[in-house]
Amino acid sequence: MTRLSDTFDPLRAIFRKQVRHLIRYPGEMVFLFIIPYFLTGLLVAMGVSVGGQDAFGNFAVQTGSSLNPVVFLMIGSGVWMISWIVLEGIGTSLRDEQMKGTLEQNFLAPINRFLLLVGQALSQIVITSLLFGGVIVASVLLLEPRGALGLILAFGILMIGLIPLFGLGFVFAALVIRFKEPYAFTQAANVLFAVLTGTFYNVTLLPYWAQYVSTAIPQTIVIQNMRLAVESVQGLIGAYGTIFILLAMALIYPFLGYSMFKQFERRAKVTGDLSKF
Amino acid sequence: MDPVEVRSLSKTFTTKEGPLFRKTQKSVTALDDVNFSVKKGEIFGLLGPNGAGKTTTIKAICTLIHPTSGEVYVNGHNVVKDAQRARQDLGVMLTGDRTLYWKLSGRENLEYFAALYHMGGATAKQRIEQLLKLVGLDERQNTLVENYSTGMRIRLSFAKAILHEAPVILLDEPTMSLDPQSARLVREIIRDLRKEGCSILLTTHYMEEADQLSDRVAIIDHGKIIAMAPPRELKETVLKSEIIEIEAQNINPQVVEKLRGIPTITEVVSTIDDAAAQKGVIKVHASGGKQVIPEMLGVLVKGDVEISNVKVATPTLEDVFISLTGRALRD
Repeated sequence: MTRLSDTFDPLRAIFRKQVRHLIRYPGEMVFLFIIPYFLTGLLVAMGVSVGGQDAFGNFAVQTGSSLNPVVFLMIGSGVWMISWIVLEGIGTSLRDEQMKGTLEQNFLAPINRFLLLVGQALSQIVITSLLFGGVIVASVLLLEPRGALGLILAFGILMIGLIPLFGLGFVFAALVIRFKEPYAFTQAANVLFAVLTGTFYNVTLLPYWAQYVSTAIPQTIVIQNMRLAVESVQGLIGAYGTIFILLAMALIYPFLGYSMFKQFERRAKVTGDLSKF
Repeated sequence: MDPVEVRSLSKTFTTKEGPLFRKTQKSVTALDDVNFSVKKGEIFGLLGPNGAGKTTTIKAICTLIHPTSGEVYVNGHNVVKDAQRARQDLGVMLTGDRTLYWKLSGRENLEYFAALYHMGGATAKQRIEQLLKLVGLDERQNTLVENYSTGMRIRLSFAKAILHEAPVILLDEPTMSLDPQSARLVREIIRDLRKEGCSILLTTHYMEEADQLSDRVAIIDHGKIIAMAPPRELKETVLKSEIIEIEAQNINPQVVEKLRGIPTITEVVSTIDDAAAQKGVIKVHASGGKQVIPEMLGVLVKGDVEISNVKVATPTLEDVFISLTGRALRD
């Protein structure tokens, strides 16, 4: 048996198992299908109700972006939802397994914990990314056809951005193992991220200190650069420094997150917390 | 080195109790200096009451909990330092039927775990077919586990434990909640695994099961191993006493105390099966032979105990436990 199949066979099995669960609990799938449309509709309606007839014009002045506001918001909310799923997906899947009684069965298997953590969230991430990706593509092609080429770059940035997000996901998984409350931490963090990462506006609208904090969050760079890529490829080239920061995050965050998870897992083995719920 | 070696294994859990902000730490010793080994092709029974430390021992061996002190080796691999290799050599069945994915079918469950244990496609397929037949689930293999009976789930869980043909198998109460026919099937498979050279560690609180299956038995109580030998040898230790079983109604603590006062009686344990009628069994170990029966019956009749049956019994592992601890396994 090759080392490659040692990695990919279990990963494929975990992925397939999670997809089967998603299909057999159809409510979650329905939720994933409808949420992008509801979220965007809600934000556009709010914007129009506040900004009145000149809402779109005001939006351009305030954000400094020439993008259609719907596309601007679609990119922000799309990345936000994907990051939500990554952050929450790993931790909640573990918690779900713990409640079902199957977590220990997975921990008994001779596979890397890293695979287990990534595999648990992968199905949700793939499905959510496809859904939101589809929504972003459709909105760009309909409302900003000039950005069609930039879309390819935008999704490249998103793919890089998913790597440090997994790192943050490991941190939340560690907290789930320790405190067994998957939603308390991730929901608070996701709301905070929505505020700090410029999900629905430009980060330049934030106070200086908040902008400084936001640079440490990968979603900020992903959202900004995806918008730039769709708006103008030239603009993205000018921001190449931020891509390097994102790449650095992709190297450091998973390592830090996974180290934290392993530490909390070791503690759970000492306290016997793995089988407590 | 034997396939399973447990050396000076101790485990202490720390829990916090009390109201918020005034919690106090409490230490509970689950295992205290446990030593044993399981030889190749041996069935080793770990027998003890609930909470004695059987499951904690299994969980320490299968890498789910870290020992507070001591060392455990599986096929020569230290379970803390070389956990992945130890896991590959272990097949584990933990207690209960919630160890499977209920939204997957029986076959899908086995396919999933086969992949986690690095079994190749063709090998896995063949082994799964074989196991589904072996545990009598081949006709229901595509039914979701949520639609299985408890017995079917336990049989599937057992199949999962032996799926990747590990040389060491840990079975935590493998026949609990099984009907007699299924329990017999599982016991037969366990015997076959021994013939194939597997080392099997079995925990159970069914004395007959431990007696019938095990080559050696360790009796564990309050986290300590209090006796370890082949079942026959353990039972010989209580042969010098006569064991008398009285089935009765209206059994009360005062009468039990009076029985303890009879000089030739060494142990008295009562087990109540029907609390309303105080109906159950009184088990007496007597050093002076059967001569004690008339005196004993006199005490019972005076204490208003309604006797339905009296028999002189052959010793079981339960009697060994009683003679060692003064308690019944079910206490």
